[in-house]
Amino acid sequence: MNIVKKIKTLLKEAELYHSQGLLYEAMAKYHDATELIQKNDQLKDKQRLIEGISKKINALKKDISRIELAPKKPEMSTNIQDLIKKMSSFSPDLDEDAKALEAAVTLAKFGQFKRAISEFNTLLKKDSTRIPAAKNILRCHIALYSIDDAVAQYQRWLSEDAFHPDQLDKLRIFLENQLKREGVAKILPKTKDQIIEIPAEESAETDRAQVSEPETTDEEHHEPAAETEDVLDVNSIGVTVEDGPQKGNVYEFKVRFQLGKVVSLLIPSRDKDVVENFKIGTELHNVQYYTNVGLFNGSGLVAAVKEITIGPLRGDFCVDIEVVVH
Amino acid sequence: MAILNLKKRQIECKIVYYGPGRSGKTTNMEYIYKTFTKQVTGEMVSIDTEGDRTLFFDFLPMGLGEIKGFDVKVQVYTVPGQVQYRSTRKLVLKGVDGVIFVADSLAVRREKNMLSLKDLQHNLKEYGIGISRIPLVIQHNKRDLVSEALPVMSLEQMEKDLNRQLKVPSFPASALTGKGVGATLKECLKLTLISLKKEMKLE
Repeated sequence: MNIVKKIKTLLKEAELYHSQGLLYEAMAKYHDATELIQKNDQLKDKQRLIEGISKKINALKKDISRIELAPKKPEMSTNIQDLIKKMSSFSPDLDEDAKALEAAVTLAKFGQFKRAISEFNTLLKKDSTRIPAAKNILRCHIALYSIDDAVAQYQRWLSEDAFHPDQLDKLRIFLENQLKREGVAKILPKTKDQIIEIPAEESAETDRAQVSEPETTDEEHHEPAAETEDVLDVNSIGVTVEDGPQKGNVYEFKVRFQLGKVVSLLIPSRDKDVVENFKIGTELHNVQYYTNVGLFNGSGLVAAVKEITIGPLRGDFCVDIEVVVH
Repeated sequence: MAILNLKKRQIECKIVYYGPGRSGKTTNMEYIYKTFTKQVTGEMVSIDTEGDRTLFFDFLPMGLGEIKGFDVKVQVYTVPGQVQYRSTRKLVLKGVDGVIFVADSLAVRREKNMLSLKDLQHNLKEYGIGISRIPLVIQHNKRDLVSEALPVMSLEQMEKDLNRQLKVPSFPASALTGKGVGATLKECLKLTLISLKKEMKLE
């Protein structure tokens, strides 16, 4: 094909992909066209052509960043929240309270935390939903506000005698585990007398010092887990690489946090080569899961891979693996 | 799973448009909303973000008349196609009775089509549903681009990629012009209603 025709075709494709919202595909075509122009010295107005494409690339970059920076889970109107609740109505064989709990959980899964907290609070009054509702309130507080906020909520329940001692024990152990996942080792008070008021400023410092959350990771995985009970807590996992130059090597990664069956790993940038084996949808057949009660073997499904682009962990990777137990 | 309300004599079922990002799921639904005015029973709800990308889902309520004295209501949803919204797709898929898989005819999206179909299979499996057991229709969308001399896959290629094993009904379509949109939905509704009749022993 004639070189000019080739360039025209590439630009036509790029325009089409841009108009279809296929921004990365459009970007690739613009780059192909630029490369082709640069390689051909016989082309007239070479510089002008490159400048023209460069403007288009810049416009494309703006579109990409606008999409990437858009809020992933904005607070929706009441009507839409009602619709989200309705989605959970397709659960057969549940009583009214269980349905209400599931509806609130669905709201939380869609990031509608404030409304979810309000609905969970109503469910605290019912015996059958009391504990799962309380656990989800704590999860929502962590997702929406801060760890200290969740701790403060627990302390309020403790001081108000809002729960039986055995129920408070469950909530304390649950919250301590949640904090551990966030990288905070904190022993919570078991009785009212043990509650120590932390001054607000000091408390904020504690959060900043101890929680090393990357600023951007897949937001879907910061949502509170909706399951009423979690699967076994996984502390770290061992993965045997099945292909490529590292085939046969075993790598161990620490679990940053876990939501139900999905464990989230933080892989340092130096292990970029290993991350390349983790394509979304890939099944890892030989995985060792290390838990508090022992080791179990299984497989895992790569659910998400994301490079952290800003913050102190910039360049590292966040990889989500769905646990599959044999 | 459809909801049967004996008191109201009503069956409520759920159809989900699935497929990779930007394949035209929302455009399908917009066309249905504008065209099937008799069947549409309420407003279409779209929750999108920057760049017209579906953030949570689109929703359209429809009524399909009666089966054996039961009023059939259909809730039609789309899922967000972008890879990172996997858990949202799974949520929307909960309780699904029929699926329309919207594939993108652009050659550059070939791999995304296949990954999305695999994702559908995986998510259905999580709910204990085999992909070969659910009423499923495939739509090969954006066929209007064939005439524009752009790299578009042939229908044979798309069938080979996506429907070689499933062997489900499939339709070429252009959601932009509306061609094939109605036929795809009708086929899915037909298969879903047959399946519901069997399931609820209404036959």
